[in-house]
Amino acid sequence: MKTILMREVRLNLKNLLIWSFVVGGIGMICILLYKSMEGDMKEMADAFSNMGAFADAFGMSTLSIATFKGFFATEVGTVHSLGSGMFAALIAVCILSKEEEGHTGEFLLSLPVSRTSVVAAKGLCVAVMLVVFTLFCSLLYWVGILIVGDEMPVAGFLEFMGKQCLMDLEIGAVCFAVSSLSWKNRTGLGLGIAVLFYFYDIIGRVVPDLKDALFIGPYSFANASEILSGKETEPAAIITSLAVTAVCTVFAFLCYNKRDIAS
Amino acid sequence: MANAIEIRDLTKNYGKNRGVSGVSLTVKEGDIYGFIGPNGAGKSTTIRSMLGFLRFEEGSIKILGMDSVKDHEKILENVGYMPSEAWFYGNMRVSEVIEYAAKVRGKDCSAEAAKLCERLKVDTRKRIRELSLGNRKKVSIVCAMQHCPKLFVFDEPTGGLDPLMQKHFFELINEYVAKGATCLLSTHVLSEVNKYCRHAAIMREGRLTELESADIDDETFLRFYEEE
Repeated sequence: MKTILMREVRLNLKNLLIWSFVVGGIGMICILLYKSMEGDMKEMADAFSNMGAFADAFGMSTLSIATFKGFFATEVGTVHSLGSGMFAALIAVCILSKEEEGHTGEFLLSLPVSRTSVVAAKGLCVAVMLVVFTLFCSLLYWVGILIVGDEMPVAGFLEFMGKQCLMDLEIGAVCFAVSSLSWKNRTGLGLGIAVLFYFYDIIGRVVPDLKDALFIGPYSFANASEILSGKETEPAAIITSLAVTAVCTVFAFLCYNKRDIAS
Repeated sequence: MANAIEIRDLTKNYGKNRGVSGVSLTVKEGDIYGFIGPNGAGKSTTIRSMLGFLRFEEGSIKILGMDSVKDHEKILENVGYMPSEAWFYGNMRVSEVIEYAAKVRGKDCSAEAAKLCERLKVDTRKRIRELSLGNRKKVSIVCAMQHCPKLFVFDEPTGGLDPLMQKHFFELINEYVAKGATCLLSTHVLSEVNKYCRHAAIMREGRLTELESADIDDETFLRFYEEE
């Protein structure tokens, strides 16, 4: 299992580096732009405060975009949420199905290794990728914060990044389950799932009738504005996330163990 | 001699499509067993069921005295399999693929692998995506043989190999069998069965007929194809 895990990590390393530098880099640039935009932010904050639902959707009604925390939550929160979700989906949705698409399943499974070990190694690889991605982006954002020199609560920042990682693991688990079912790579479907979850959260914050069902989506508990303004996370959201992650992972194991392998 | 392969009443369907039906087959240890039949007859389905790639509905399979479902991993430790299509990871170098297969097996097969690469003239520095089908097949032979298994399962192994490599391939099989290994050879090529196999069976429309002798003539052989 260790050999398969190491090989998967090596295979996905380029993806990890590209996505970490792009998402982390854009987030860091956003942070560094704050000082040059600080003066205009007050007018922008006033304008956003009159936008009602739009301000709710992007968390600008919770934290003022004129403050550094509010700016971070709005700009970096959006970039990281969307970018990390897409990265999680991209990594997970191909990890099992690429063996089917590339006809390499027969080679891999003719070696003395159980299907359970193969799924475990690949699942673990997804988890490792997402944790390293989060750490790398956190480092870039923190360097940006130090350069700007404005106040950012360490606990709030770490909570935000930790919950983003949990959210990515949930999206990854859903796509991992899809991968265990597929005969070919479903990159489009994976990215679609991540974007769908994101827009479910946006719409859920705008439409009053959907607010009670917001906790179902993985983005609900990882909202930067809510976390940095000290709003308590609904336990139901975290429990749902952990349950979805567990169910999808178990599903992937069961499905891959039962299916016929393509020649 | 003990049985290396023992299949009893194997049935495998693909939804409504036929796979194999009631297949029974026994291969003794030390045998080179020819497994012939037209395309789509069910040879690969039988082989892939043996190795756990396919989940079958009915029947039982014992490989080297072990149950193919319960002792799956233990069986694969002692089996060298060469699929009809030799697919590997395109970005890896040949040497990396060979080493990877050995590492997953938890064995150091470097000496045997080097010997096989030399005999089969395998360029280990090339990337898999740069190889022709014949060269990929040679890599597949090395992966199947480097750990000196007790049982070889070859699914149409010689397609794409040039005549000299085919000769080397069968020489290698004979050498391993002389040391106690068993070989199941699925093929379309009658001359290979006549020349190298000691026993044989023909598969047609998902059903298996064991032959009295591996030395069969063209007419008998072609009749199985024509009667489809």
